[in-house]
Amino acid sequence: MKPVLLTALAALLCCATTLPAATAAGSVRVEVNDPKGAPVADAVASLMPLAAAPELTPPAEPVQISQQDEEFSPYVTAIVVGTRVDFPNRDKVQHHVYSLSKPKRFDIPLYKGESPESVLFDRPGVVTIGCNLHDWMSAHIVVLGTPYFAKSGSDGRASLATVPAGRYRLEVWHPRVAAPVTRELDIAASGTGTQVVSVTLRPDRRIRRAPESGAGGYK
Amino acid sequence: MIPRLHSFGAKLLLLFVLVVAAAQFATWFIVARANHAQARDLIERDLQAAATAFARVVEDRNALLAAGAATVARDPVFISLIAGEQDAATIASMLRSFQLRMAADVALAVGLDGRLLASTHPAAPADEIVRQLVERADQDPSPNPTANGYGYIDGVLYSLVVAPARGPDILAWLVLGFRIDPPFAQRLKEQTSGIDLTFVDDRHHVLATTLAEPAARAVAAASPAAPDRVRELPIGDETALVLTRLLDGGATRHASLALQYSLDEKLRPARATERTLLVVASGSLLVAMLLSRGFARRLSRPIEQLAAHTRVIAAGDYETPLTLRRSDELGRLAEAFRTMTTGLAERDRVRDLLDKNVSPEVATQLLREGAALGGEEREVTILFADLRGFTTLSENLAPRELLTLLNRYLERMSAEIERHGGVIDKFIGDAIMALFGAPVTQSDAASRAIAAALAMEGALAGLNRELGAEGRPPLAIGIGINTARVVAGNIGSHRRLNYSVIGDGVNVAARLQSLTRHPEHATNIIASAATLAAAGAPAGIAPRPLGRVTVKGRAEPVEIFAISPLSGVEV
Ligand SMILES: [Cu+2]
Repeated sequence: MKPVLLTALAALLCCATTLPAATAAGSVRVEVNDPKGAPVADAVASLMPLAAAPELTPPAEPVQISQQDEEFSPYVTAIVVGTRVDFPNRDKVQHHVYSLSKPKRFDIPLYKGESPESVLFDRPGVVTIGCNLHDWMSAHIVVLGTPYFAKSGSDGRASLATVPAGRYRLEVWHPRVAAPVTRELDIAASGTGTQVVSVTLRPDRRIRRAPESGAGGYK
Repeated sequence: MIPRLHSFGAKLLLLFVLVVAAAQFATWFIVARANHAQARDLIERDLQAAATAFARVVEDRNALLAAGAATVARDPVFISLIAGEQDAATIASMLRSFQLRMAADVALAVGLDGRLLASTHPAAPADEIVRQLVERADQDPSPNPTANGYGYIDGVLYSLVVAPARGPDILAWLVLGFRIDPPFAQRLKEQTSGIDLTFVDDRHHVLATTLAEPAARAVAAASPAAPDRVRELPIGDETALVLTRLLDGGATRHASLALQYSLDEKLRPARATERTLLVVASGSLLVAMLLSRGFARRLSRPIEQLAAHTRVIAAGDYETPLTLRRSDELGRLAEAFRTMTTGLAERDRVRDLLDKNVSPEVATQLLREGAALGGEEREVTILFADLRGFTTLSENLAPRELLTLLNRYLERMSAEIERHGGVIDKFIGDAIMALFGAPVTQSDAASRAIAAALAMEGALAGLNRELGAEGRPPLAIGIGINTARVVAGNIGSHRRLNYSVIGDGVNVAARLQSLTRHPEHATNIIASAATLAAAGAPAGIAPRPLGRVTVKGRAEPVEIFAISPLSGVEV
């Protein structure tokens, strides 16, 4: 109950900070599909204003990426530069979280329960995290230089609301794209629009957990 | 179609068929046995090869797992977990990563004391298994000590290997294992030439198999305790050869691998050949039958022809020719047959002539003993008969009429002589010389001669009545009979021989005959005392002594008797 509450609080704070700055705001709905037209979840759509760098207000409380049932949750997390992330361990077994990605390298040795420290993501880019014990554990943190972003749900839709009018570069990223798909677009005040983005996905190379031993065999 | 068995052809056919059938069956039997032996050999070789292949696959996979285990066991996080508080759940969760990396089926962490620290399998293996494994690894003096073996986890058989987790000393042991399961058995089968594998536990339960379930159960049930020999095992309605290998579980439970291949399956191509062989055998049997039948006919037909001709010959037909013409032994036999027929015909002709010229008895003796110039002394009764007054008769008759009359007379006389067992020795003009007791000995020769003489007298009376009816004068006869030892034999030259007797006794008989002309004797028949003595006291006659007469050339006078039938008795 607690982390859910915290995440919701962070999202609220995020919206709260951007809302007053926008005098006239529009919204964009991005639909992410694969070439066959199937919706793509866990894609991060972000709008980078082309005129001037937007002002970023990271949340006061750290964002949480928990470890539960020997998996990271959520699998994809989008944050703005300057956000702190906590890695609480909700399992009975220890984990050993690490990142070797350029925007943020870190290593939290074997631990259980709350992470000993929160990690500050101060540079934009994609950070992939793993666990030194469990090969199948991985997650992605997309660190963005813009407050206008959203993650696609299972329907492939990501809704970006209250985006000030202006010209933006739309960037769609997904763990399995070779390079982010980008395009420029104008957002009118009170305008609404739908951007359909087709992404070509590479094979899913995540390590799958082995089924529990003892199964099979001739009975 | 089926010939009679007592015929030569049937016997030949039977012989042929038996010989060919025996040969064909022997061939078939030898081929079938060779095929069987060869199939067995091939299967045995395949089974041994499969057993070797299995051992190698397990060995290679163990080596691979051992190398992998040695590598992953160096993972610093793993080492720190081992070196730390040894949190079993965390270690187990990390072992799952190792299991994934090595594509193993189970991963265990074992303490230096042989105690199980963690396992990816919810069911723990028997302590004995892991303890033994690490004990053996611990005895390995190499820097990378290892050991492997079979072990059951939750009833499933695994091949397990051990590698050390070092930091830098050996802190614990990492055990990786792979399951001996149906997919593994299936992969192994694909590597061998279709050999079926069944892994059986020490309680005869099937662990893994490539066979259908009932067959696998049959194999498991028959799995022996200490196996290394290829055995025959009926599976379903087929026979399989089974080779069993023990999978050593150390001091814990063993398992075994039964490798098998269907003998019937292997024999299937050979069986097809054997069937073809049977068809060929039947065909050659049929050909042999036809050939032998033809041959038998070629052989038996002339034989039957000869046999038929034999019957013709036996019936006395020498004229019908034997038409058999062949160049082989049968041809020569036919030729000999023809020669024989000619010989028989010749002999018959000779016999015919003999019968006409000499008495049948003499002819028989001639044919039997040959016409030798031999001689023997024997007692013979000689009968001389002469026509009285023949000279006067011959003057009054034409020669032809005379001969006819003479022959008529001789015919009647001869008939009576022969009827009484006498033999006509010769005709001397109108005289007859007959023998009794020669050439065939007769004990009653003398009485036969007397009876013959009386019969001749009677016959002449009959003839005279005929002649009287014809208006001719009657004939008179004189008969002399004497019994004496004479020399009998074939008398004459090589070109012409006569069976006859010579000696005094013959002259005496002739003399007695001539004595009948004397009116004072008043008899037609005169017999010597020797004849009467030889005849004993013949019934029906009345000898009348005529006294003694001197015979020319004989010192002693001969006592003679007139022979006539008892008055009133007609002979
Ligand atoms: Cu982990």
